[in-house]
Amino acid sequence: MTVQVLDPATLPADDNVNPYTFCVELKGSQWFLQKGKMIAYYGQIEFNGIGHGALDRLVRTSFHSPLHAGDWVVAQGSGKMLLADRAFDVNSFDLDEGNLTIRAGNLLAYQPSLALKQSIVPGFLTLIGTGKFVAASSGPVVFMEPPLRVDPQALVGWADCPSPCHHYDHGYARGVIGGLRALTGIGGSSGEEHQFEFVGAGTVLLQSSEALMPEQATGAVPHEPGVPGGGPGHASGGHGPLGSGMPRMPGQLGDLQRRFGL
Amino acid sequence: MFRLQGSKVLAVEMTGDSVRAKNGSMVAYDGEMAFKKLSGGGEGLRGMVTRRLTGEQMTLMEVKGRGTCWFADRASEINLVTLQGDKLHVEASNLLATDAGLRTGTTFTGLRGASQGNGLFTTTVEGHGQAALLSDGPAVVLRVSPQYPLSVDPGAYVAHQGNLRQTLQSGVTFRTFLGEGGGEAFQMRFEGDGLVYVQPSERNTVAGDV
Repeated sequence: MTVQVLDPATLPADDNVNPYTFCVELKGSQWFLQKGKMIAYYGQIEFNGIGHGALDRLVRTSFHSPLHAGDWVVAQGSGKMLLADRAFDVNSFDLDEGNLTIRAGNLLAYQPSLALKQSIVPGFLTLIGTGKFVAASSGPVVFMEPPLRVDPQALVGWADCPSPCHHYDHGYARGVIGGLRALTGIGGSSGEEHQFEFVGAGTVLLQSSEALMPEQATGAVPHEPGVPGGGPGHASGGHGPLGSGMPRMPGQLGDLQRRFGL
Repeated sequence: MFRLQGSKVLAVEMTGDSVRAKNGSMVAYDGEMAFKKLSGGGEGLRGMVTRRLTGEQMTLMEVKGRGTCWFADRASEINLVTLQGDKLHVEASNLLATDAGLRTGTTFTGLRGASQGNGLFTTTVEGHGQAALLSDGPAVVLRVSPQYPLSVDPGAYVAHQGNLRQTLQSGVTFRTFLGEGGGEAFQMRFEGDGLVYVQPSERNTVAGDV
């Protein structure tokens, strides 16, 4: 076995180096990436937190997930940069005037031509627009067409918006024996009584393992009536001016108090 | 003779010669083998004291005999490196096995190690022969040449070889202290001529959250 030695000329541009490493080519352009996923780079590349003043314009158009902004950085400059995440499989996907919703922990990086937004479904993020993004998964990703039911742990995301809902298999719990089973676990449950169901047009992305990627907080949602997960409202710190319902972006002037711990 | 069986098991064929390997990494053998623990990395008393002091401890064993011996460690990926008189720098925890013909030692690396949380020292392997490195996920081998210097995240660094100058590059600005740093506050910068081995995963480092 000979080991392949790579240099900037032989590294692929915006493609996988191996199943676990992705190479991004920057030519004066910018990419959003999750903090700490860069493993090496050639050239001149600068990493700035989302709150960096010079990035305000970019953040305004491509980043709408304010409360987990602390976990994202913008890479800009020219050169080639390698991305990887805890030796998980990484893959790039192209969106063309499309939309895709993905589990927050799985998304590694994306081009600023895409806009990142929090999904209404808690724990998920939605990308809208045209461009490339990189996602990690435990095992290779499989694409499926709805209608189908999937195991919650295997779900990576879905594109073109089929409707995601919960599905419970109540059949096993019927009758006295079934009730006992459900209550005590004696007699065994298959562990597959609860699934996510997708119907409608679109694509569902699954990972080929049920090992979950560590959850990445997407940030709290504004406490407003009608917002799922918003809960019974109590506006607490970090949720912007009282009553405005808008979460606050880092780098806003008002944040000075938070920074200095006041 | 080192040979990979799959990517996670190292098979070594021996004809009366010996190899050094991480203690307890033998998974199977056939033929006649003798395993001897080498205290303090097998560099004598001086080496042992140095390793103890520098935190680059390795518990090595010497395997000697005839037949085939298989090594593996926690299903980590194994990478083979052939050395022809040059020097390989590697973290002690990433070294699985070396030919008996290779010398190991400890060198001072400066501040870089401190940011990595592994101490200020690194293990060197030099001579002629083969070494097997462990990595979390298959390592990517990157060439550094004078016109292409390379920056590496300390958490993903595994090893490097050749004539390389290594400096710690800091991206720490006042923003880091406001909690809005770029997430890549420290990088190891390599300049010169050589190869750097990088793993597709990051160890937890002191600088990891900055």
